[in-house]
Amino acid sequence: MKFLSNVPTTHKVFAALVLAVLYALPLFVTSPVMLQIFILIFFYAYLTSSWNFVGGFAGVLPLGHSAFVGLGAYTSTLLYLTYNISPWIGMIAGGIVAAAFGLLIGLPTLKLRGAYFALATIAFAEGLRVLVENIEKLGSFEVRGPKGLLINLVGNSFRDFQFLSKVPYYYIILTMLVLVLILTFFMMRSKVGYYLAAGGEEPEAAEALGIKVSKYKLIAMAISCFLTALGGTFYAQLVLYFYPKSIMGLDMSYEIAFIALIGGRSTILGPVLGAFLLRPVGELTRIYLGDTLPGLHLIIFGLVLIIVMRYQPRGLVEPVSKWLTAIFDRIENRRRA
Amino acid sequence: MNLKKFIVPAVVLAMGTASFSAYAAEKVVKIGNILPLSGPSASVGIQGKQAREMAVDEINKAGGIKALGGAKLKLLFADSKGDPTTGVTETERFISTEKVSIVTGAWNSSVTYPSTQVAERYGVPFVVPVSVRDTITERGFKNVFRIAAKDSWWTRDQFRFLSDMQKEFKTPIKKVAFVYENGDWGTGFAEKWRELAKAAGYQVVLDEPYPSTASDLTPVVLKLKRSNPDVVFMTSNAADAILLTKTMTDLKVNVKAIVTSGGGHADPSYLAAVGKSAEYLFDIVEWETDLNRPGLKETNEKFKKLYGYNLTGEAVDAYASMYLVKDVLERAKSTDPNALRAALASTNLCGGKTGLLAYNCIQFDQTGQNRNASLVIVQVRSGKDGKMERITVWPKNVRRAGYKVVFPQPNK
Amino acid sequence: MIGYIESVINGILMGSIYGLTAVGLTLIFGVMKVVNFAHGSILMVGMFAAYWFITLTGVNPYLALVVVVPLLYFFGYYMQKIVIKPIFEAEKHVREPITVIIVTTGIWYVLDNLALLVFGAEFRVAQTSVTGKMVEVAEMYFPLAKIIGTGITLLLGVYLYWFLKHSRMGKAVRATSLDREAATLMGIKQSRIYNIVFGMGCACCGVAACVLVPFYYVYPTVGVPFDIKAFVIVVLGGLGSIPGAILGGVIIGIIETVGAQFMAATWTEMLIYAFFLVVLFVKPSGLFGLRQDY
Repeated sequence: MKFLSNVPTTHKVFAALVLAVLYALPLFVTSPVMLQIFILIFFYAYLTSSWNFVGGFAGVLPLGHSAFVGLGAYTSTLLYLTYNISPWIGMIAGGIVAAAFGLLIGLPTLKLRGAYFALATIAFAEGLRVLVENIEKLGSFEVRGPKGLLINLVGNSFRDFQFLSKVPYYYIILTMLVLVLILTFFMMRSKVGYYLAAGGEEPEAAEALGIKVSKYKLIAMAISCFLTALGGTFYAQLVLYFYPKSIMGLDMSYEIAFIALIGGRSTILGPVLGAFLLRPVGELTRIYLGDTLPGLHLIIFGLVLIIVMRYQPRGLVEPVSKWLTAIFDRIENRRRA
Repeated sequence: MNLKKFIVPAVVLAMGTASFSAYAAEKVVKIGNILPLSGPSASVGIQGKQAREMAVDEINKAGGIKALGGAKLKLLFADSKGDPTTGVTETERFISTEKVSIVTGAWNSSVTYPSTQVAERYGVPFVVPVSVRDTITERGFKNVFRIAAKDSWWTRDQFRFLSDMQKEFKTPIKKVAFVYENGDWGTGFAEKWRELAKAAGYQVVLDEPYPSTASDLTPVVLKLKRSNPDVVFMTSNAADAILLTKTMTDLKVNVKAIVTSGGGHADPSYLAAVGKSAEYLFDIVEWETDLNRPGLKETNEKFKKLYGYNLTGEAVDAYASMYLVKDVLERAKSTDPNALRAALASTNLCGGKTGLLAYNCIQFDQTGQNRNASLVIVQVRSGKDGKMERITVWPKNVRRAGYKVVFPQPNK
Repeated sequence: MIGYIESVINGILMGSIYGLTAVGLTLIFGVMKVVNFAHGSILMVGMFAAYWFITLTGVNPYLALVVVVPLLYFFGYYMQKIVIKPIFEAEKHVREPITVIIVTTGIWYVLDNLALLVFGAEFRVAQTSVTGKMVEVAEMYFPLAKIIGTGITLLLGVYLYWFLKHSRMGKAVRATSLDREAATLMGIKQSRIYNIVFGMGCACCGVAACVLVPFYYVYPTVGVPFDIKAFVIVVLGGLGSIPGAILGGVIIGIIETVGAQFMAATWTEMLIYAFFLVVLFVKPSGLFGLRQDY
């Protein structure tokens, strides 16, 4: 555990405590609705953490990540429905397909100014959605265009990635989230991470030093798309029914970017914090005000975003971590005293 | 920390509402309703909500459910935003947290489809007032009951209407064109149209899907004009219905008839927006205000006074669904899901308040589809005051007395 | 044959109006290097303003320009000054103003959904003296409102070109867009230039709104389809180039109308995105962009 040596003990204890609570949560919370809310929070935290590899560390703004969610969901589901291949294997296949598309789109655009990259990713996502909507059949795969794909209920089956209870989904997505956070941790401390950090601030200077920034940006893009697609398969198995507009629409892409910026991009915990703040606000306003004031939750989304960006442009993770550190320091000091 | 200011009231509000509803849980039967209250289909969702509220208000004022000691019906609404995932989450919330006895909804087929799957899993009855996709009642589910007609009946009746018109007016139709939004609904209709056109021996001169979010539909209309059909079949949402109708009038597309499929063409704001451009158009609906049904005038008056617009097909189905729920509860004499399911399956509800529907009785077949659900076709005409009016013309036995159908429509 | 000519001309007419909706976007980007995602919502605000003005007064629809354009100018000026400027300042030295881009997305969400709360989910169509009027040429029909719209687009394009090239303010704007620091040293107040440019970008949306209202519907999310189209157009024409935006719009319009004569309209939508990506790969500066600014 050498890599953890520079992390203070209190932080480690705190992280372990939070993890323990989250893993034990289904023992106390049995309501499927609460579990579903947690699952969606983790799901968005996972997607945003995956987005973070390119949106955070590579310093650009991808606004079409739902395309990769869709690629993952469509790949694994089509393989399952056509050849009865387990979605667990399809998940990896979806990741590879998404990574390939990510490279294809990143190769010409990552060199460009950020605005071009943002617009190119939007155009790619919308173009892909329209393409899928136009395809009824692709070889032996029944894509079914705008009608979407329905996965039939088979009951509890690990092989088919289907469970009647919410608890397995909860553990799967929580574990996926923890893994992607660990990966982010390593990435930040790796050569790639350092080069990207250097390239994000001063690309010309980094290039002058012989660092091929665009190559590392591409690697980050591929990793990001791969991970995002895994989330797509999870989502498909959770809802068992999706169609191009529901899974590849721009709303999801924007929401991911919102969460990242509110939480704090290019940080490990920013996406998690963002998801924990933004998702419940959306759910609660929709449940309690949705029938009287339609659209209010989106106004709140927008306002929260503007206000946070105005006063905490680096996201809420900065003040929150300062605050936590202060508490930790106190605990530490008291322990020493 | 400005965010705190937002979250704290939201949480407090949430808790308050939750504890309040727990208090009111005495002697009530909870009905969960999932509707698109925001998003692109918000206007129909709101119609459904208001019609349900009016029906339940009447039922409760008349003494509630007598077989359950006068228990009152309590409506819970959830906004699906027209999004399947939200629909599923809300169905789950209604069943497991709110413990509703019956769920109804959800208008958008794409929401109803996965939501009914949830209800089936929990074994709670799900009443579908309107949602047209055939397969909703074709999955062998035991808990899903649909009041309105399904997809294949809509397209079937559109073609029956066309063949009746040809006979009545001795105007032969040869060439037909299909123009439809490329969503689930439009492409589903188009599939059925193709089969029906083949069976009837029509020549299909244009088969054109278009994106319903298109900013300009002139290209589609130019193509339609060039293909020179006798009859155009259309399936559109509101925005595209407005663009298509206006552009077709502008570019002087002359056809013998335009037959549309409800949806955008039945939206109250559609006629207000396009005005005279919609003259002579035929639209298929499950219901119309000018139907000659007992009690309709009074109910419509009441509805209009409360909400400011006439009853619509969606509203009437929603209204009838609440009286169906009442009837089922009276016969089941309990809120046990099994008793409710049995009572629903053996429904034979005729007359009374459900008599507003275009047909006499609600009876479900093996699959849970109301076997009596029928459709009517209306023609759009400008009235004396310049306002556009929808006049029932088909089937002939319900045609508005004294109305002369215009077929084929005159050139522009 | 005549059908194809009709298609091409209709494509040019609608396309130049698409170009008009993109002019404001490209102007703001050219100077501030910010993609304004709230662009479509500002168009929507303009359309509601024009709709109410025309419906309540019943005057000639193009008179609305006199009211809507200044209104949108001040709307944009103050939105930049109050909401965007503080965020922009904090990010002044960062290479990519990503935070500002995301904030404009937030403004879009707020505006569209506020319109839904205030005006409801109702489609509105203004009845004006040009609505439904057609011009007939050799059995081809063209909507009068679109012909007038094309004329207004050209006038606006010429005016903006003259303004940037020859007016004192225009020169200051160009100086700021070329080099912020140098312009500041020359005594140009950068933040004021930004306010003005943002106001002008929104005023262009106001022009587009007045052109659209006589033949289009008004709805809280009416800006969204124009938004994405405008993004495609400005990249196609070269981010920051005003003639490029108008020509880019015309190209999109022609692809849309002519393409639809050979394939389903759903495929032409696809074709536009594909064309966009190809241009981005082959010539990222856009078809008419000159500045090597990418």
